[in-house]
Amino acid sequence: MSSFKWRGRHLVLPLAAAVIVVAVGAAGALAASAKTTASTIKVAVLSDCQGAFGSFDGQDLAGVVSAMSQYAGAKPVDPNNPRKGWTGGQINGHPLKLVGVGCSNDRADTAIKETKRLMEQLGADVMIGPLSGDESIAVANYAKQHPTKTFVDGSAGAQDTTLKVRAPNFFRFNGDGAMWNAGLGDLAYNKLGWKTAAVVADDYSFAWTSAAGFIAEFCAVGGQVTKRVFPPLNTTDYSSYAQQMPTNVDGTFVAVGGAGLIPFLKAYEQAHGPIDGKKFIGNLFWGTPGQFEQLSTRVTGAYVGGAGTAGDLATPAAKNYANNIIGKWFKTIPPYGAAAPQAASTFTYGFFINTWGLIKGLQAVKGDISGGQKKLQAAVKKAVLPTAYGTIHLDKYNQGVIPVYYAQLYQKDGKLAVKTVGYIPNVDQTFGGTFSASTPAPGRTSPKCVKRTLPWIGKTQHPKVVG
Amino acid sequence: MSWRVTPDRVVGVGALGVAVLAPLLFSTYWVSTLLTETLFLGIVAASLVFLSAYGGMVSLAQVALYGITGFVLGNVVTNGNTKGLNLGWNPWLGVGLGIAIATTVALLLGALSSRSTGIYFLMITLTYGVIANLFFGQVTDFSGFGGISGIDAPAGIGPVTGHPNRLYYVALGVSVAVYALLRYIVRTPFGLALQGVRDDPVRMSSLGYNVMLHRTLAFGFAGFIASLGGVLFVWWNGHIDPASIDLGATIDVLIIAVIGGLTRVEGAWLGAFLYVLMLNYLPSITFLGSIGITQDRFHTLIGIVFLVIILVSPNGLIGLWERTLKLVGSSRFGRPAVEAPGGGTDV
Amino acid sequence: MRIQRLARYAALGLAAGTVAFMVIWVLFIGRGTNFGSAVHNPKDFLITLLNGITAAALYFVVASGFTLIFGLMRVVNMAHGAFFLLGGYIALTLQRRWVGQGGGFGLTSEQVNLTNWILPALIGAALVGLVGVAMQQTLLRWNQGQELRQALITIAISIIAADQMLAHFGGVAEDVAWPHKLDQFDNLHVSGIIYTRTRLFILALALVIGALLWVWLKRTRIGMVIRAGVDDRQMVSGLGINIQLTFAIAFFVGSALAGFGGVIGGSFASLAPGVDGNWLLNSLVVVIIGGMGSLGGAAVGSLLLGLTTNFASAYLPSNYTYYSIIFTFVLLAIVLAVRPLGLFGRPA
Repeated sequence: MSSFKWRGRHLVLPLAAAVIVVAVGAAGALAASAKTTASTIKVAVLSDCQGAFGSFDGQDLAGVVSAMSQYAGAKPVDPNNPRKGWTGGQINGHPLKLVGVGCSNDRADTAIKETKRLMEQLGADVMIGPLSGDESIAVANYAKQHPTKTFVDGSAGAQDTTLKVRAPNFFRFNGDGAMWNAGLGDLAYNKLGWKTAAVVADDYSFAWTSAAGFIAEFCAVGGQVTKRVFPPLNTTDYSSYAQQMPTNVDGTFVAVGGAGLIPFLKAYEQAHGPIDGKKFIGNLFWGTPGQFEQLSTRVTGAYVGGAGTAGDLATPAAKNYANNIIGKWFKTIPPYGAAAPQAASTFTYGFFINTWGLIKGLQAVKGDISGGQKKLQAAVKKAVLPTAYGTIHLDKYNQGVIPVYYAQLYQKDGKLAVKTVGYIPNVDQTFGGTFSASTPAPGRTSPKCVKRTLPWIGKTQHPKVVG
Repeated sequence: MSWRVTPDRVVGVGALGVAVLAPLLFSTYWVSTLLTETLFLGIVAASLVFLSAYGGMVSLAQVALYGITGFVLGNVVTNGNTKGLNLGWNPWLGVGLGIAIATTVALLLGALSSRSTGIYFLMITLTYGVIANLFFGQVTDFSGFGGISGIDAPAGIGPVTGHPNRLYYVALGVSVAVYALLRYIVRTPFGLALQGVRDDPVRMSSLGYNVMLHRTLAFGFAGFIASLGGVLFVWWNGHIDPASIDLGATIDVLIIAVIGGLTRVEGAWLGAFLYVLMLNYLPSITFLGSIGITQDRFHTLIGIVFLVIILVSPNGLIGLWERTLKLVGSSRFGRPAVEAPGGGTDV
Repeated sequence: MRIQRLARYAALGLAAGTVAFMVIWVLFIGRGTNFGSAVHNPKDFLITLLNGITAAALYFVVASGFTLIFGLMRVVNMAHGAFFLLGGYIALTLQRRWVGQGGGFGLTSEQVNLTNWILPALIGAALVGLVGVAMQQTLLRWNQGQELRQALITIAISIIAADQMLAHFGGVAEDVAWPHKLDQFDNLHVSGIIYTRTRLFILALALVIGALLWVWLKRTRIGMVIRAGVDDRQMVSGLGINIQLTFAIAFFVGSALAGFGGVIGGSFASLAPGVDGNWLLNSLVVVIIGGMGSLGGAAVGSLLLGLTTNFASAYLPSNYTYYSIIFTFVLLAIVLAVRPLGLFGRPA
C-alpha cells in the first residue's frame, strides 16, 4: 500500500465524515425548527388536493378560512386563493396560527401520513379535516391514540367515524352518507308511489352507507328492495351490471359515484333504453355542483339526495352565508370561479361549520388549551351552530344532529339544474334505532329490509327556494 | 477476507452509527415517522434491487407481496373491524402466517414467470401488482377499498405512540439482518449460480443448472424479504388499504430503487431516505410556488426528479458515488470482488 | 428433465380442465347466477357474448398501438395509459367547444352530430401521436437498446402527465358524447335482442383499424421494413434503410392509437384520473396473453380478456360477482404456464 494512495484516502475519509456531520446537523436543525410559543394555538387543516376530490381543495380551504375570518378575526391572505390561508385571528389574545395544510388524496393511508406530519412534525394543537369517508375513519382512529389533541371533521361522511370509532376528541358537525339521504325513502314510497325498488351502489363503504340511508327508510315505510347490485370500483365496462338491473321495479336508487356514474348510466341506457328520470333517485353525486353538470340532461326529473346543504334556499340566513360570509371573504375559489355560488358545496359548507364549531369551543374556554385540551373538548361538544341551513348540535358520540335537504333535477335553458324540494330538520345518525354501534355496518346485505318507525316520516317540509 | 478501510465501509459504518444514535440526535417525529418509514421502504426496495442486481429480474410485484403480508396480518390479528376476517389471533402467529403466505405466493408467481426475462418480466410482475391491488379493493371479504384499521404492533414493540423508538430499533435490526443476509446469499453457491443465470442462462442450463428453479427460488426469497417490510409497514401504519399497494405505491418503490441504484442493495435504503425526505419536505418549500409548482402539483416535481436521475445517472446515487470515487482516483476503491463485473441489470 | 415435462403436462391438463369447466358452467349449469345457464337463458348469454366481443374491440384498438411500438422498438411504453387519457381529454375539450354548451356541462347525444365526434377524435389521436413522437425523439431515441431505462423514462413521463392532466382537466369524471346517429338501438333479429349501435360501431372501428394495420404491415414497403425490424433490427439498419424514420412513424401510429382509443373509451365510459392506470393494465394483459409485437396476438388477447371480464361479472354466482377480478389473473396464469411468450409470441 503506497503512501500516495493513503493520501488519496485521507481526502475521502474526512470528506465522507463531513458529509455525515453536515447531514446530521441540517436534519437536526430542521427537526428543531418546530418549537412552540406558549399562548399560540396551532391549527392544521387536512384537505385533498390529489385524487378524485382534488379539485375541491379550494372549497375546503375557503370554508376554513371564511369561518376563521368571520368568527375569529382573521383575514384571508389572498381572496382568490384559499390555500394561502389566513393572517391575524385570535381567541382571547391567543393567536390562531395556521401551521400547515395537508394534501391528501381520499386514501386513508395518505391521510394518516399527512396527519402525522401536521400533528407531530409541525406540532399542531388542533386539526380540521379530512374530506372523505375512509380518511376520516383513519383520522378518528389516530385521534383516539392522541387524546390531548382536538380534531374536527372536514366534510367526510363515513358512518363508522363517529358511530363505531367513537374517539372522544373527534367531532363532526356534518352528517354521514346515510343521514344525507333522509327523506328519500318516504318520498319514493309515499309520493312517487314506488312499492318496489332496485339499488345499485359502488362496492365500498361510503356507497353502502349512502344506499343504507335509502334502504332503511324505504323499507321502514313499507317498500321492498328486490335487488341490490354492487359493481366493483374501477370497473371499466358496466354492461354486465347494467344488464343485471331489474326493469320490473317501480324505481331505482343509484349510489354509484366518481368515475363510475356516467359509465353506469350509459351502460344502463344501452341495456334498457333511455332513462326515465322519474324512476331514478340518486345520492349526492347527482346533485353536487361541479359534478352533476356532467350528467347532461339524460337524468332530468330525478330526485337526488344532498349533503345537508341547499344552495337555492330563499331564507335570509342562506343568502347571508353565501353573499356576506363566503362571498365577502373570497372573490373566487379556484378552479370553479366566483366564490358565493360555491358556498353551498358539501366541501365549503362542511369545512366551514366544523371550523366554526371548533372556534365556538375555543371561545368558550377563552383560548385555553392547557390540561390536555380536556376543557376545550368538553366545550366543542356543547357547541350549537345556527347555520345557514338549520341548527346543528352534537349527540353524545360527537356526531352532529343535522338538517337534511333533497332536491330534484330539472332543465333550465336546456341545461341540467338542481332545485331543493324537501327539508327534514334534526336527522340523527341512528335513523330511529336502525344503526348503532352493535348493528352490522352497512354492507352488501345490511341493513335488512324491515318495517319500523322513523321520527321524520311524513314530516318533510317544502322550503322556499330562489328561482 | 481481509477487512480494509474503504470509503464504502467508512460511510456504511458512519451511517449505521448515526442510525443507532438517531433517537438522541433527532426529534421523535423524525425517528418514529421518517426514519422508520425509510427503513421498511428500504427493505422492500432492497428485495427489488437484489432481484435486479443478482438475478437480472426487475420485479414490480414486490409491493404487492409486501401488501399481501400486511393484509394477511390485518385480517388475522384484528378484531372488531367492519371489514376483513376479524380472527383476533396472536400477533406473532399473524406475522408467521403473513410471511409464509407471501413467500408461497412469491414462489408460485416466480414459477409462473420464471421463463420470462428482462422487460417481459417487468411487465408480467407489474400486472401481478395491479391485480393484487384490484383484488384487495374488490374482494371485501379480505379488505375492500377502505382497508383494515387498528392493526397494532405486539406488546413489547408497540404502540408506536407510547414507544416511538422501539419499532424504529426493530426496523433497524431487521434492516441490518436483511442486508447481512443478502450479502451472505450472493456469496453462497446458490447466489453465485444465480449470477451465472443472470449473465448467461443458456450456458448455465447446459452446465446442468436448473435455470427456472434458480429464478423461482430467488423470487421467492425476495418475496420473503419484501414480506418483512410488509410486517413493519402495518405495525408502523396501523392500517392497510388497497391504495397502500396501488400502481403509485409500486412505482414509488421502483423510484426508490432507481434513485438508490439498481446495482447494489445499499442503494435501497439511501434511495428510501431521500424519497421520504423529499415527500415530507418538498411540499413546504415555498420558493417552488414561484416557479409554478405549488404543493398540489408536487407529483409533477417527483416525476421530473425521477426523470432527471434516470437520464443523468443510470445507476442512481450509488452510481454517482462510485463515479466520484473513481474521479478521486484510487483503483483500490472499486467494488468488492463479489459484485460481478457490469453487475445487475442495465439501466 | 422428465420432471419438467411432467410438470408441463400437468399444467396443460390443469389449464384445459379449468377452461372446460368454465365453459360448461356458463353453458349448462350457471347455478345461482343472475341469468342462469346459457341453455336456460340464451338471450342474456348472447348479450353477454356481444358485450364481451365489443369490449374486446376497444381493448384491441388500445393494445394494438402498444404492441406495435414494442414489436419494432422493444420500448414498453408505460405512458400508454396516459396517452389514452390525453387523447380523450383533447377530444372532449374540442367537442364541447364546438357544440357550444359551455365547458362545464356534459352533452347529450342529441346535441352532437357525426362531425362533432369524428373530427375531435381524429385531432385528439393525431396530437397524441405527435406527443408520442416528441417523447421518442427527445428522450428515448438516444437510449435505444436500453429497454429498462426506456421503460423507466416512460414511467416518469406518465407520472408527470397524469398530474398535469389532473391540474388542467380536474378530478371529476367527464365523458365524450356519442353522435346522435350512433346512439340508437338496432334489432338484431336474434332471440329478440335489441342492441346498442355504439358498441357495434366500436366493433366496426376495431375491424377497420385491424384491417388497415394488417394491410399496412403486410402490403406496404414501410410495413415490410417494420416487420423485418421486428425480426432483426441490425440487419435492417445494415441494409441502409432509414430505420429512424420508421421508428418515428411507428411511434406516431402507436401513440395515436392510444389517443384514439381514449376518445372511444371516453365515449364508452368516462375520463377521470386513474383511468390511465386501468388502461395500461388492460394493454399489458392483452399483449402478455397474445404475445408482444404480434398484431394477431393483440386481437386474440383482447378477445380473451373481453370475454373473460364480461362473463366473470355476469356468470359468477350473484353473491360472488366481486371475485371477477381473479379471472383476469387466472387467464394470465393459464397462458403463462402454457406459453411463456404469449400465444403468438416469438423469442426476441
